[in-house]
Amino acid sequence: MTPERFHQIVEAYGAEPRRWPQQDRAAAQAWAETHREQADALLAQAAGVDAWLAADKVAPPGAALFELVLDAAPGRRTAPRRRLWWSGAAIAGVGLMGGVAGAFAVSFFVLTGAAQQLPPVHESSYLTSSFGGSSADWSDE
Amino acid sequence: MSERDPDAELLERIGRQDPAAVRSLVSRKLPRLLALATRMLGDRMEAEDVAQEVFVRIWKQASRWREGEAKFDTWVHRVALNLCYDRLRGRREDPHDEMPEEIDPTALPEAGLEARAQDQRVRDALAALPPRQREALVLNYYQEMSNIDAAALMGITVDALESLLARARRNLRAQLAGSGLSKDKS
Repeated sequence: MTPERFHQIVEAYGAEPRRWPQQDRAAAQAWAETHREQADALLAQAAGVDAWLAADKVAPPGAALFELVLDAAPGRRTAPRRRLWWSGAAIAGVGLMGGVAGAFAVSFFVLTGAAQQLPPVHESSYLTSSFGGSSADWSDE
Repeated sequence: MSERDPDAELLERIGRQDPAAVRSLVSRKLPRLLALATRMLGDRMEAEDVAQEVFVRIWKQASRWREGEAKFDTWVHRVALNLCYDRLRGRREDPHDEMPEEIDPTALPEAGLEARAQDQRVRDALAALPPRQREALVLNYYQEMSNIDAAALMGITVDALESLLARARRNLRAQLAGSGLSKDKS
């Protein structure tokens, strides 16, 4: 370990030996022990930046972000399909109930003759359109 | 490579659709990725977007991951950094947004908020570093990657990494001393 290399290590990695390159750590620590004054001056300078860097904390991810990430994972895709299956069954059930109700209504009208009480299908007022059959005569206006 | 990738076993379980493994991987990587992106971008919301995007890519690759030259963690960091750089490039139209040059402590509402002001000064100082210096410092100091792994991730030699780290620290020290002007831009 040379003084230049020790200087490079502290300048790049800071004052904490645990952050020094593994292959240089033991030699650098030994050099610092035998050159206390020189080493301490360099280490003190680096320690100020280390303390400053250590002050920066990033808040951990929130539960919402965690869940969003999990929801995109491959194994999670079964959940929406299950919901889709239930909603499809619900639609089919409603359709079936509508069919039963319709069949009941038709049989009710047929059996009771209620349909005869409705207006005639070809009553003239139902056939009048804006293109024909109008009795209005606009020639005088 | 003699050591096994520490994420390999987890990835094998994810390949077998093990939900516990999925949760473990998210617990292990999400805080690291969020911290990385937050420090690279200086913006929490953007960092969360980046973290989510990285996981979308992880889910596509996890079941096909094969141990090779690069560790999974290194690959994940590379993906995250690429996404961060995409966003930083998008900010070039307004460089002041990316690199705040000066910090005005008088702009803070109360002197009692000194601790918060200190946090903001650190964050601003990091944001003011040239991107490659910031990347080197974030990978080595905050992500606690070895010099060899960080250099490999950045595609540079260990000597070049040490040079970037030393310049980053000199810039920070200058800002700490209050000058904030003697910045090395390379």
